Amino acid sequence: MTQINEQQRTDSSLQSNMQTKAQRRIRNTDRFARGCFTVAGWLAGLMIILIFFFVASRGIRVFLPSYGAEQQNIWDFLLGMRWRADNQVYGVAFIIVNTLVSAFGAALLSFPLSVVTALMITRMASPRVGTLLTTVVEVLASIPSVVFGVFASAVITRFVDSLAGLFGQTTAGGNAMLTTMILLAMMIFPTMTDIAIVSIQAVPDSLIQASLAVGATTMQTNYKMILRAARSGIFSGLVLGLGRAFGEATAVSMVAGNAYTGPSVNLFESTRTLTSTMLTGLKETTGLDYDIRFSVGIVLMILILITNSLIFLIKRKVGGGSEHEQ
Amino acid sequence: MSSRRKLNDRGLLLMSWIFSAISVAVLVVILAYIFRTGWSVLSPDFIKNNYRSDSFYALLEEAPAGDFTAPAELPEGAAFSRKFGFALSDAKDKQNNDVTQLVYLDSESPLNEAIMDSAGVDLAPKGEAIRPPEGLIIDRIQFLDAQGEKAEVGSKKQMDAQSSIDLLDEEAASLVKYHGLTMGGGIRGSLLTTLILIVLTLIIAIPLGIAAAVWLNELAPKNKTTALLRTGVDMLSGVPSIIFGLMGMTMLFEITRLFGITEQSIVLGALTMSVVLLPLVIRQTEEALKTVPVSMRMGSLSLGASRTQTIFRVVLPQALPGIVTAILLSMSRIIGESAALIYTMGTAIVDHPQLHRGATTLALHIWKVMSGEQPDFQMAAGISIVILGMVLFMNLITRLLLRRFRRN
Repeated sequence: MTQINEQQRTDSSLQSNMQTKAQRRIRNTDRFARGCFTVAGWLAGLMIILIFFFVASRGIRVFLPSYGAEQQNIWDFLLGMRWRADNQVYGVAFIIVNTLVSAFGAALLSFPLSVVTALMITRMASPRVGTLLTTVVEVLASIPSVVFGVFASAVITRFVDSLAGLFGQTTAGGNAMLTTMILLAMMIFPTMTDIAIVSIQAVPDSLIQASLAVGATTMQTNYKMILRAARSGIFSGLVLGLGRAFGEATAVSMVAGNAYTGPSVNLFESTRTLTSTMLTGLKETTGLDYDIRFSVGIVLMILILITNSLIFLIKRKVGGGSEHEQ
Repeated sequence: MSSRRKLNDRGLLLMSWIFSAISVAVLVVILAYIFRTGWSVLSPDFIKNNYRSDSFYALLEEAPAGDFTAPAELPEGAAFSRKFGFALSDAKDKQNNDVTQLVYLDSESPLNEAIMDSAGVDLAPKGEAIRPPEGLIIDRIQFLDAQGEKAEVGSKKQMDAQSSIDLLDEEAASLVKYHGLTMGGGIRGSLLTTLILIVLTLIIAIPLGIAAAVWLNELAPKNKTTALLRTGVDMLSGVPSIIFGLMGMTMLFEITRLFGITEQSIVLGALTMSVVLLPLVIRQTEEALKTVPVSMRMGSLSLGASRTQTIFRVVLPQALPGIVTAILLSMSRIIGESAALIYTMGTAIVDHPQLHRGATTLALHIWKVMSGEQPDFQMAAGISIVILGMVLFMNLITRLLLRRFRRN
């Protein structure tokens, strides 16, 4: 307070030495603090570019002549259908396909469940059931990835293995494409449900009243009108869920099984995703086997980038609605 | 027509209930599995034991037989040695083998005066006195009988506690040495690492995140550049955590190298987690900053306070609830994080974490015991319970705090 008073008292004709000193100190701290804030802001904003730059520069290195005898051909990498780290054969094409298939499979399993659950929470359930379901979604969202992994490699593998038995097939100890899909479906369920809830809540009440007034039943209103009105939000939730599925690493690595070749559409065969390739068999922190993981990282980043721009497009094309909360 | 509509409606309603029930069932099955598998390993020992099991020999210089009386409360099934004043009982070690375990030690017992004969053991340095802790597995005791002949008892000799003690009390004249094994299989080191990582990460991430949020919300000019930077922060939250791990090993690794750290380390893990948490801290702080009315800022400025004074004394104190929420959410994120840390902290389980060395958090501990040839489901589930407990507790507090702040 004294500082402020001093400042107020300042008058051009009455400037004493002490006052200007105090003023200068305030001005200097102000300048210094603002400098810190500005640096932090720019750093946070530019971090995404720094990340991309550093990962990409390490990942590209293995394709350049300067890498020496172990230099890889970029086309063999991008179009290759085999990944044999022991023979230094690195082809990522089938891994991309497998990643897409497992993520879309997971979304297929999880999307209807999450939309209906969101509808249940917002429109149909009694307050008590609604709270229960909300809590379930929240707890599912807070379970860490490793814990899902432990559950998946103990329970889902066994389930998939016996399911394969019913179809007369065998699995590699339950490590299969289907296991990965079920696991991912569980993990992206809360993400999609959350966003569906927000976008359903944003549907204006007047629309709902109008639908009921022209004679639609509650169910028809829920399923035909509300879902259609909230579709932009619901679909961006779907894409966000896909993004999570692409990037999910630890749990997937525990059950993917890491196939050497592909792509495979057999649900009971083992698979290999971009993330499981990056994570499994990680031992040394130098050498080709390590550096090539950064190249896989570039592919993953591009995949995520495409997904993110897709969300942006959906929001612009189908129109807002999910933006404002209730 | 009307009845068909009714039928349709019923069908849809039924489907809605079934679908919702599935999501509840999924959660119940997960929790049921984790708790049923992991509950049995949860004990105070599990929390406080080292992971590594130490094995050592201890020499007994002067350990002649004495005369001891058994204490009033001896654990059930324990066999007490009247000559040497200690009690053994049968137990299972972590590999489920039968072992003999020390359950009682008289203060006058000659076992108290043993000298450590192995190097690199936590209990005592080589050549120093070692007092065996209760719960130590003693699977081999060498003694001299009345004729001066050496003989051994203990679970290594396929003897149970009762027959070992019987033989000792019958024949032994003095003890020569014993072989001890600490239980191991605990998570103390990983728990400690998790706490260290949380503190270190918050020290870096919270000031950085708050400063960035303040700049974006209070100081930055409202133009295209700022909007772009904001988009950059938003995009950061969509980056998968494994990419942060790669980033840590290239970009932040160079920073830790300046301090002479040339391998994966807890410091590197903390730096990486700070970047992971940036968007979360920024968003939470910004939300809180937005609730501070503009009139407060105007009032402060018009009284002659500088921009910085206004921020530190008027705006930030009001935004405190948001900052507390950010801290709590960050903590649960750090506890659960695995992929980024596998890259930056490594997967070697250590009992005495050091800042400049690699170590495992609880989540990494699970990854480690699951990724071996023989996955240890029991231990993984046990740690999962600990993690879930911490995370859910943190979320509960966040919720309660938020409710209270909203009411005010």
